[in-house]
Amino acid sequence: MVSTILPQFPKFQVNVSLFHDVQNSEDIRLQVAELPFAFVDASVIVSQEQLFAAVYRVLTDLTYNKLRTKTIHSECLLALSPTSNIGEAFNRFGIQQGSTDLVVLQIVEVGQESTESANDIVKGTEVEFNNDNLLHTYNEQTLRKIYKLDNSFQPKTTEGFSQALVNAIQLRGL
Amino acid sequence: MSQKIVDKVSEYLTSNIPIKLISQGAEAVVFTTNVHPYLPKDQIGDDSDVQYIIKYRPPKEYRHPDIDKSLTKHRTLSETRILAKLYQIKDIHVPKIIASDVFNGCIWLEFLGEELPNNAGFSNLKHFLWMYNKDGANAYDPIVLRTLYEVGRQVGLLHWNDYCHGDLTTSNIVLVRDIHNENSWQPHLIDFGLGSISSMVEDKGVDLYVLERAILSTHSAYAERYNKAIIEGFSSVYKNEGEAGLKKLNELLNRFEEVRLRGRKRSMIG
Ligand SMILES: Nc1ncnc2c1ncn2[C@@H]1O[C@H](COP(=O)(O)O)[C@@H](O)[C@H]1O
Repeated sequence: MVSTILPQFPKFQVNVSLFHDVQNSEDIRLQVAELPFAFVDASVIVSQEQLFAAVYRVLTDLTYNKLRTKTIHSECLLALSPTSNIGEAFNRFGIQQGSTDLVVLQIVEVGQESTESANDIVKGTEVEFNNDNLLHTYNEQTLRKIYKLDNSFQPKTTEGFSQALVNAIQLRGL
Repeated sequence: MSQKIVDKVSEYLTSNIPIKLISQGAEAVVFTTNVHPYLPKDQIGDDSDVQYIIKYRPPKEYRHPDIDKSLTKHRTLSETRILAKLYQIKDIHVPKIIASDVFNGCIWLEFLGEELPNNAGFSNLKHFLWMYNKDGANAYDPIVLRTLYEVGRQVGLLHWNDYCHGDLTTSNIVLVRDIHNENSWQPHLIDFGLGSISSMVEDKGVDLYVLERAILSTHSAYAERYNKAIIEGFSSVYKNEGEAGLKKLNELLNRFEEVRLRGRKRSMIG
């Protein structure tokens, strides 16, 4: 698990885990509303940068603007999305029936950490949440469609691709 | 700079983000920091030299707070949007956006450029040309002319895609040294605070005129050849686009000439 605090938002702790070969996504999906996590299908996560850019957006909206959804974790899914349609964000970024690779994200107030960990819920193989481990699970075509990237945009590297998603995340709904 | 602005931005960024002031304009103050706003430290590697740009638009006391807020949001958003659009256009070089908090008027950008050798200053076009204008240097070094041609190409790509810079001075062109060839510099356009989407030849003509004047005022002895290199690079982009490109290029260069004449008249009267 990657556990971090964003320097501008020291009141919040951010925990991220990555799981491969997840076997119980259907079960998780049924209780997703009650669980204090954001379960993200790893096929739409390219890089740490993309995920943490969304976290930054959630924390700025929470602190200076307003949240558009009911919880900080549903807001994480919205923050990943390039549009403000909440249903669409859930469908595209949330856990799906057949999800086999999951990014599990949690934002908690420091001092209020829950005892429940992603490991207690997800049946799968935990690997480190890093760019190398995301490389094999993301789907560029799906992401191009979701983020409406022009065909003429052909970055040479994964970082170059990731940057376009970061840009979209900063600008959603503004 | 007013202590108030520093206090304000320090409070906003918290003491976890140390900042160094590098520029203060009418519209924005610019700082550098070595702290990334959201990537975990151990993921960036321990390159302690890494820097990020923080561009902050402070609240203006003389404006009504509501109007001030909405103006700041509008301008920060507009700059972010243009940078995001330009990022996706092939061969255009602009700084990458790291974060943008439009509610507080704060944009985080990739840091570009470097310190030039022999204390010649930061590697923007102005300092770069000065470095080659010094005694003992060759003002027409092929490196200089090639770099100016590339500057022209960047402006050409910008205009061909219907964007205007709005403040195209030699300080707003930052040169980034090629990692594979230390004699090769890639110009990057920065500061799109006055940038716009525009297909109007007038806006483009004015961009070219502002750049020409900037070169003329600080590098006057070599300005003619320098500006020629820029226009050659600029034109090459349009010439690459066939008939339609040539037509637009002629239209644009004619307007550029008109803007220039107007400028000359104004300076004769004024
Ligand atoms: N991305 C950047 N990389 C390096 N220096 C920058 C960058 N953005 C701004 N600066 C510096 O800050 C000054 C003012 O920025 P601006 O207000 O955007 O014109 C510029 O003239 C540069 O010296």
